[in-house]
Amino acid sequence: MRNKPDTEPHPILIQAEGLSKVYRRGSETVAALHGVTFEIRRGEFVAITGPSGSGKTTLLNLLGAMDVPTAGTLILDGFDVASLTESGRTQLRRHRVGFVFQHFGLVPTLTVEENVALPAFFARRNDARQVSELLETVGLGHRRNYYPSELSGGEMQRAAIARALVNRPPLWPADEPTGNLDMQTGLTVLGLFRRLNADGLTVLVVTHNDVIASAANRRLDLRDGRLMGPDTGPTSMPRVPAGPG
Amino acid sequence: MKEFRRRPVRTGITVFGVAVAIATLASLLAFERGYRRGLVSELDRLGAHILVVPKGRPFDAASIALHGANWPCYLRESYLREVRSVPDVATAAPALMQATPLEDGRSMVVVGITGDYLKLKTGWTLEGHFPASGLDVLVGSDVARRRGWRLGDTVEIPGMPGSRTVSGLLAPTGGADDGFVFVPLEEAQRILGRDRVLTHILVRLKDPEALDGAVGRLRGCNAGMDMNIVPLTHLFRTIQAMIRSTRGWLGAVAFMALLAAMTGVSNSILMVLSERTREVGVLRAIGASPGDVFRLFWLETLLTCVLGGALGLFAAMVASRGVESWLRSHMPFAPTDPLVRMDPLILCACLVGTVLMGSLAGLLPAWRASHIPP
Ligand SMILES: Nc1ncnc2c1ncn2[C@@H]1O[C@H](COP(=O)(O)OP(=O)(O)OP(=O)(O)O)[C@@H](O)[C@H]1O
Ligand SMILES: [Mg+2]
Repeated sequence: MRNKPDTEPHPILIQAEGLSKVYRRGSETVAALHGVTFEIRRGEFVAITGPSGSGKTTLLNLLGAMDVPTAGTLILDGFDVASLTESGRTQLRRHRVGFVFQHFGLVPTLTVEENVALPAFFARRNDARQVSELLETVGLGHRRNYYPSELSGGEMQRAAIARALVNRPPLWPADEPTGNLDMQTGLTVLGLFRRLNADGLTVLVVTHNDVIASAANRRLDLRDGRLMGPDTGPTSMPRVPAGPG
Repeated sequence: MKEFRRRPVRTGITVFGVAVAIATLASLLAFERGYRRGLVSELDRLGAHILVVPKGRPFDAASIALHGANWPCYLRESYLREVRSVPDVATAAPALMQATPLEDGRSMVVVGITGDYLKLKTGWTLEGHFPASGLDVLVGSDVARRRGWRLGDTVEIPGMPGSRTVSGLLAPTGGADDGFVFVPLEEAQRILGRDRVLTHILVRLKDPEALDGAVGRLRGCNAGMDMNIVPLTHLFRTIQAMIRSTRGWLGAVAFMALLAAMTGVSNSILMVLSERTREVGVLRAIGASPGDVFRLFWLETLLTCVLGGALGLFAAMVASRGVESWLRSHMPFAPTDPLVRMDPLILCACLVGTVLMGSLAGLLPAWRASHIPP
């Protein structure tokens, strides 16, 4: 569901320029991202890789409008995330982003069906038919009335994927979606990703898994908060990291 | 909005706390209402403003005159004339009361009266007629029902020699009169061997507002030394004041219980929140606004409170009989009407109180929850 049918679907979905993120914990500061610049087009399947602590989750949270950059600009589907209010970012998350978590993030007291319908519920909309179609798509039609605790890991992640799709967002970030799954289940989920990507969804996957990374058509490799490889632009030149004091 | 079901035990305890608080509050309100009404209608039924009794303790005297028992000492019949000569007095009805214990633990209360009594009891409805001869009796509705006596029956009355004719039946009054048997005063004096004495005189004034003056004048008359002049409205007012002071305490207790229940609810929801911080973060990530999260937690608290309140009201209604009999056995003076009166107004007031409490208790957790970042 396009929220603003009047805006032309721009081929560039994400435009990041000099994106930096500094976390503050009391007097301490941790610089997690240092001026990252890149673009992502509609319909791409991008893997974000890098060693632990390199800033992958930080980057994905920014791309999912969950957090605001400390410096730099991020244009998401035509919106400047940093200049949006909290309610503006809520709208972005609600209609343009379908986040998938490593820990699945299902609400344990709701059934699979109710979990999948949650984003639609927050968007003040109710489409039971679409929910059941999605459940069929991810192969969970027979589990609609189960509670998350009654599902296997792969089923939980598929439920979470269905939930992320319910508001038909163009962007679809997933933080280590297969991190809690075994190889075989991970591959099933990967297959689902590719199918959805083929249907036009823009998929952003943070992963340690080389199989998944090689399935993507592009790779953003992070090291200590900087991009390596072809996407490394001039703004990612080494800088003095922000330190305490 | 989808309810956020969780831990049944903890929710149960919280709900129980609210229920106890609301039940206390409801019972207290019901008692307050019932007791005041009971006193007022008791006064109405009595039809008298002043009770004249022999010297003694006025509380005992009142209780005896109102509910029937044996009298410790007597008034001389000649005092009646003096009482009647006081200008404010409209009617002075003499009475001689005698209680005969029965095997079942009850007692047969016989009251000797004159026609003056009828002038007080304007609310009485008689079937048959007021005792005309010494062998006629007028029977209260409870006595008639228990013994199966009917109009015109010839009956034997415990404590009285010979047999008598039921010349009159008293329709239910809801008061103590229902348990009495009335005979002419002279006959009572004759049988009981109490010539020319009375146990009490019921006095109705021309103007109830003139009570204080009338009491003063009655106390000032010659026989005043030997009589206890009990202004009934004052007596009831004194009893009410006693109850009110206790009620103040109970009110404070109920309020504290309410406060404790409220903090209990807040606390329990806050605990839920701390366990579910990540979940709330997920909700925010998939498009819940801070307002959505606020509503979710606020409604949850409200529902908990309303559930507890409803349970509490139900419990209070179920328990009201028990509370009633407990109160009766612990109160110095209890009117014959129901003491605990649960009416719709009280139920509504308590429900409104619950909703208010729930709304307040939910504010902090909801506010906290809405500030959890995605
Ligand atoms: N909320 C936070 N407050 C302070 N520091 C943080 C916070 N989140 C992340 N960091 C720091 O930022 C750096 C990057 O963290 P990030 O979670 O983005 O790494 P990552 O690449 O996702 O690692 P992993 O592969 O282990 O998930 C780390 O040094 C981390 O300690
Ligand atoms: Mg991470």
